[in-house]
Amino acid sequence: MTTETIGRRFHHLEVEANERMPECQLVLAPTTAEEAAAVLDAAAEHGLPVLFWGNGSHQGFGHRVETAIVISTERMNRIIEWSPADLTVVAEAGVRIGDLALRLLEENQTAVLPEAPVEATVGGVIASGQSGWGRLRYGPIRDRMLEVVLATGDGRVVRGGAPVVKNVTGYDLPRLATGSFGSLGLISRVALKLWPVGERAATVTVEAADRALAIAYRPLAVIEENGTARVYLTGTSAEVETQTAELSGTAVDGLDWPHPLAGETVLVVRVPAGLTGAATERVPSSWSYQAAFGVGEVRLAGPSEPAADLLATLRDWTATVGGAAVVERAPEALYEKVDPWGEPGPSLELQRRVKAAFDPLGICNPGRLPGKL
Amino acid sequence: MSLADDLAAFLGPGRVKTDPLERHVYARDGGLRTGPVEVIVHPRTTAEVVEIVRTARNHGSPVVARGAGTGLASGAVPTGPAVLVVLTRMDEIHEVDEASRTAWVGPGLINLELSQHIAPLGLHYAPDPSSQSICTIGGNVATNAGGPHCLADGTTVAHVLGIELVTVDGEVVMLGGAAPDPIGLDLRGVVVGSEGTVGVVTRVLVRLTEDAPATRTLLLAFGDTADAAATVSDTVAAGVIPAALEMMDRVMVGLIENWIHAGFPTDAAGVLLAELAGHPAAVEAEAEMLSNIAKANGALSARLAADADEAARWWKGRKGAFGAVAQRAPDYYLHDTVVPRSRLVDILGRVHEIAERHDLEVMNVFHAGDGNLHPLMPFDAAEPGTLERVQAAADEIVTASVEAGGTLSGEHGIGLEKRDLMSLVFSPVDLDAQARLREAFDPVGLFNPDKVLPAGSRCFDYGRPAPAQ
Repeated sequence: MTTETIGRRFHHLEVEANERMPECQLVLAPTTAEEAAAVLDAAAEHGLPVLFWGNGSHQGFGHRVETAIVISTERMNRIIEWSPADLTVVAEAGVRIGDLALRLLEENQTAVLPEAPVEATVGGVIASGQSGWGRLRYGPIRDRMLEVVLATGDGRVVRGGAPVVKNVTGYDLPRLATGSFGSLGLISRVALKLWPVGERAATVTVEAADRALAIAYRPLAVIEENGTARVYLTGTSAEVETQTAELSGTAVDGLDWPHPLAGETVLVVRVPAGLTGAATERVPSSWSYQAAFGVGEVRLAGPSEPAADLLATLRDWTATVGGAAVVERAPEALYEKVDPWGEPGPSLELQRRVKAAFDPLGICNPGRLPGKL
Repeated sequence: MSLADDLAAFLGPGRVKTDPLERHVYARDGGLRTGPVEVIVHPRTTAEVVEIVRTARNHGSPVVARGAGTGLASGAVPTGPAVLVVLTRMDEIHEVDEASRTAWVGPGLINLELSQHIAPLGLHYAPDPSSQSICTIGGNVATNAGGPHCLADGTTVAHVLGIELVTVDGEVVMLGGAAPDPIGLDLRGVVVGSEGTVGVVTRVLVRLTEDAPATRTLLLAFGDTADAAATVSDTVAAGVIPAALEMMDRVMVGLIENWIHAGFPTDAAGVLLAELAGHPAAVEAEAEMLSNIAKANGALSARLAADADEAARWWKGRKGAFGAVAQRAPDYYLHDTVVPRSRLVDILGRVHEIAERHDLEVMNVFHAGDGNLHPLMPFDAAEPGTLERVQAAADEIVTASVEAGGTLSGEHGIGLEKRDLMSLVFSPVDLDAQARLREAFDPVGLFNPDKVLPAGSRCFDYGRPAPAQ
């Protein structure tokens, strides 16, 4: 009944549900943060849960959310301002990361967002805290977050940060929003710090990832994929050539990134960087994996059947070394058997209060976060 | 029992100070203001900080934490009688993990001492404020401190992975950690730059950075500061991000030379100090590119440091700039605004125009690559009316920076100094949201009250309230 009221009031924003979205009564696609805030205000008035949707690429993370309304960012898809001289860009949440990457390449710049899937949205990769492979050199995605505009769970439009590359003016809302999985509100617009793209790049296949990491100076990435180690280099021609020679491997021009992992279930193991190799040794031989050396992240893909047991075994280990093993993607049944996050950690009560500061009625992606916040 | 007696009961009388001299010394930090200090305590452990927080709360006394007190925004100056928690004795390096390139350190550890300690491993701690030989890691966390080398490597927040925080309830929580992307909300990021308003940081997990195998240091002199600023923009546009890119104007260079004899050209209107760090093959090419860009912009000279000693002398000159100002006047006011890099030339012109109109001298030494300005106005506070003129000029400079698309502070923080200017960059709704975030950590206003957010930021009119429980 109440969803119908909202549907009538925001009829002009209604769009078709796509088949990958979770079951819901209404899909609305606002065009501005203010419109999104108005929808959230109405949802809050009626106590209706809302889920935010970009492309759905990262909806596999976290607890499943039952929702009445889906807010899609498909109409918030403009690159608002790009200042190549300042190495900053302001983009709306619904801009596709592939489109943004291509646009920025016109001036040889990059936001170092994930490389795939290209249909994923800027808002989605930020909300789920997904970094590009280049994080070894350029840091995680949160280090690119300069400014954020949030439509909060109680219908406010809040801006934090500033579109300049260095800032300590008030609390760091841009970083708080990164990896918040829609728990505070809708990330509507962000300003990102950019980096120049090196004049040359190479992918060097080497014998051992850990040894290559010790030899190479600030490579873009060192990735071991199912036993094959590759070093990704970028920079001036002279640098790339010299570093390639120093690594004494087999080189190809350009960045030959791994393809996204195929498989029913994808798990992510996160440990202190020095334990990346140790983490790969815990991947069962029937599973495929991609390990980011120097970062401490191993993604592994395999069948869903033994996933629950594997997750438990991995967590026994990550708990002892300070880390986590989480579900990135899995059939629905797995979420019923396991907690996709694991132990929520000691700051849960503080997190609950922080969420309430933005979403006092708890309507934004309710239950998605660790501890079902 | 009195607050001091209660604190002395577990800290012992030697680490609880109430005498007038101590209270006078701790009444100010590196900024211009002073405040009332009731009791000064020097904890050594997290457990002691917990007891201090509980005791202060029982007595209804605010808690103001500080490190070495080099902050320039009066962020560590109490606005009412408070317990001043001086963390400089919590200066241990608890653990260094060479393989993961991280270290757990105490908040009182001096920034430079960390880098010196890990130097044999070929590692360093990247944020390097000018005060790095005396400022503490905890203070750096509070202000999200920067420094010349933050251009390529980012400010403190990019180098802090985990924080042990004593909360308002006297509980110890661990935020973040050594593994990437800890699950849940990123509260570590909220604590960095929060200027002591959300709790007391008792341990910090920092990221350590690999030393560059090669560096080249360049000194570029220009007849016009606009040419120097154009060189900064063109360098970035050419895809070169130097490790550091600093600018000094003629007045500043003159004072530095007079004091430190760094070897800077005193006849130039603007001098750029650039450091290129990286693989030997890269820095060679980049140094040549930067020289050529400078020459194309009419540089009077472009010199490569002959050796490490010369480079070190240039850096000593740059980092000694603020000390050099003492030759000119007993006091100075230092700005910290940020503008988009492309607006540097405009804003430098505006700064000079504003200073001239208020009959003040102004000199510039700043992080040009970041667009982070540090116009500096020497003055004598003893001269009647001078401080008022300085304040008026300061407000105009901040306003001009904001109008140019910038913000109030790049690395010093808001503290008391810029608190009432926050509404220049944030709407009442934005400020209310920040106040609510702070309230989530500290609902009773125990930690460093009256800082960062102007009075009345918390407004109950915005958003739909939660139903009464």
